Amino acid sequence: MTQTATMSTAAGAVGAEDVRHLRTVYSAEELRLNFGGVKALSDVSMDIRDDELLAVIGPNGAGKTSLLNVLSGLYRPQQGRLLLNGEDVRGLSTHQIAKRGLARTFQSAHLFAGMSVLDNIMVGRHHLMRTNPLQAFAYFPWTHREEISHREAVEDIIEFLEIEAIRHQPVDALGYGLRKRVDLGRALAMEPRVLLMDEPMAGMNVEEKEDLARFILDLREARKMPVVLVEHDMSVVMDLADRVAVLDFGRKLAEGAPSDIQRNPEVIAAYLGDAA
Amino acid sequence: MALLPSGVFAESYAADRALVRTGKQWVALGLFVAFLFVLPLIFGTRLTAIGNGILITAIVVVGLQITMGYAGQITLGQAAFMGVGAFAAAALARAGAPFWLCIPLGGVAAAVFGLLFGIAAARIKGFYLALTTIAAQFVFQLAIVNLPTDLFGGSHGLSVPAASIGSLRLTTETSIYYLNLIVCIIMVCGAFGIVRSRYGRAFVAVREDDVAAGILGINVVGAKVLAFLIGAFYAGVGGALWASYIRFISVEQFTLFNSIWMIAMIIIGGIGSIVGAIVGSVVVRGLQELVTALGPVLNEVFPAFGGQLVFAGMNLVLGGLITFFLIVEPKGLMHRWNKLKQAYRLWPYPHA
Ligand SMILES: Nc1ncnc2c1ncn2[C@@H]1O[C@H](COP(=O)(O)OP(=O)(O)OP(=O)(O)O)[C@@H](O)[C@H]1O
Ligand SMILES: [Mg+2]
Repeated sequence: MTQTATMSTAAGAVGAEDVRHLRTVYSAEELRLNFGGVKALSDVSMDIRDDELLAVIGPNGAGKTSLLNVLSGLYRPQQGRLLLNGEDVRGLSTHQIAKRGLARTFQSAHLFAGMSVLDNIMVGRHHLMRTNPLQAFAYFPWTHREEISHREAVEDIIEFLEIEAIRHQPVDALGYGLRKRVDLGRALAMEPRVLLMDEPMAGMNVEEKEDLARFILDLREARKMPVVLVEHDMSVVMDLADRVAVLDFGRKLAEGAPSDIQRNPEVIAAYLGDAA
Repeated sequence: MALLPSGVFAESYAADRALVRTGKQWVALGLFVAFLFVLPLIFGTRLTAIGNGILITAIVVVGLQITMGYAGQITLGQAAFMGVGAFAAAALARAGAPFWLCIPLGGVAAAVFGLLFGIAAARIKGFYLALTTIAAQFVFQLAIVNLPTDLFGGSHGLSVPAASIGSLRLTTETSIYYLNLIVCIIMVCGAFGIVRSRYGRAFVAVREDDVAAGILGINVVGAKVLAFLIGAFYAGVGGALWASYIRFISVEQFTLFNSIWMIAMIIIGGIGSIVGAIVGSVVVRGLQELVTALGPVLNEVFPAFGGQLVFAGMNLVLGGLITFFLIVEPKGLMHRWNKLKQAYRLWPYPHA
């Protein structure tokens, strides 16, 4: 616990000092989540600040996905507070939190299998569109215009992710790396204010990882949006993250600048140790 | 998109979203609709009557396609929803409501009834949902039999006033055909509008992965309820048309068996395709009519079998045909057709 305190006050890398003054976009306080006897999260607090990349690391089963599930409303924590842009969102359902600006990608495949790449990404626009069922039935000219204007936004994302060639392909026909890109495109189409990514690079080869890292960097450049990245690959984390939070057995072990985390003995013992 | 012929690249997103893209497709569609309009003039009453049955069925099955094929909510209540629409429209017509109003109100009555099961779908999935929707059948039958006889006819059935628009009474097979055709065209166009709007995508998203759908900002419960509502509305409109066509309705016309046949239609036509729902309705109703027509003929050729046996045998053959078809082409006729089109376009490069 004392260790955690020193970590967050220690002056970190160049970026870390600035980051601390930024506004908090999403703040989680003292989250507790149990599954029967399993303590998936115990008193985990975390602030996601404007325009930062926060990496969440930890061994298998540490509670990283559980944390993202709580932040996105998929799991209801037994205790804790969730403030998204100052609004208490605990207890809201996933689509309500999504509408308030939260988007995420998934660790496992959650694309809409029966749809094309384009339609998968168009789904992300759903909450931004205004057509009601009667207007859809009549398919008025303005209904059509709304479709077209959102299609334009989606085309920008398709171009950004360099997936123009596959836009009409069904997603089930795609390889792993491309699927992850579509998953990201779908989240971006929502025009979120916070983006959570659950191990987007797991199972990728080096080239695919580099591509995705480039997209994440470009995206932060273009959209100035905070990104929470759950990642196992330490070299990726050290390259990309402004701050790192370490989870272990559902507890937050440490939080701070990447270089400090790398030197933290507790972290090394719990996590980096078994990798080395 | 599979609809786009190779070499024809969409010039703009608008063209990309159009359902009908090339001049040839417009000509084909125009000819088909023109054919539907002259059909009664060419083929006479017998085929026009079959056409009426198919048109009404197609409306109901297109609705089922939205609930089940798009949104993935299995329902065995479609015939009951149709029945609710039929009885509601009939009761309204008997009370003196103008005919043109009875049709959408029949749809609304069915939609309200369907809403109950949409709410159930919010909590139950798949097989158990299917079981729950069977309740729609029993609730419908019980309600009609027990509601005031002077309103709904009870177990005896209900006679229905003739359809009329202004002073024009639609009583002939042909005039009813045009009514059914026009309503069917409106409902099919509406269905295309719905499935290519944000709701169509939301339905498929909920069908494929409701967790991800919620995370992407779709109200999953709302989408399921809406899918039931729309499907039941279509059934109700079909039921209202049926009531004014057949002029005498009773609960036995809307059975669980009918609901199962409708599911067979969307499976045969192709799950998740509006055109597939129409193709399925035409093929299955066509086969059923063939059985009905061939029955007496066979009966004359093989009198020893007796009428009952011939009809039972024909139904068996029909069921067998459908089963065989599902084994050979489980994705339905529309899938086969799309593959054929693709092969034709890319010819002679089979793997291009
Ligand atoms: N839905 C659930 N039901 C029961 N237990 C769960 C559930 N989700 C997570 N857990 C448990 O909570 C703990 C944390 O799991 P979680 O998936 O959050 O870990 P993780 O850090 O994402 O691991 P990984 O690196 O393997 O993805 C584990 O012990 C897991 O078994
Ligand atoms: Mg995980």
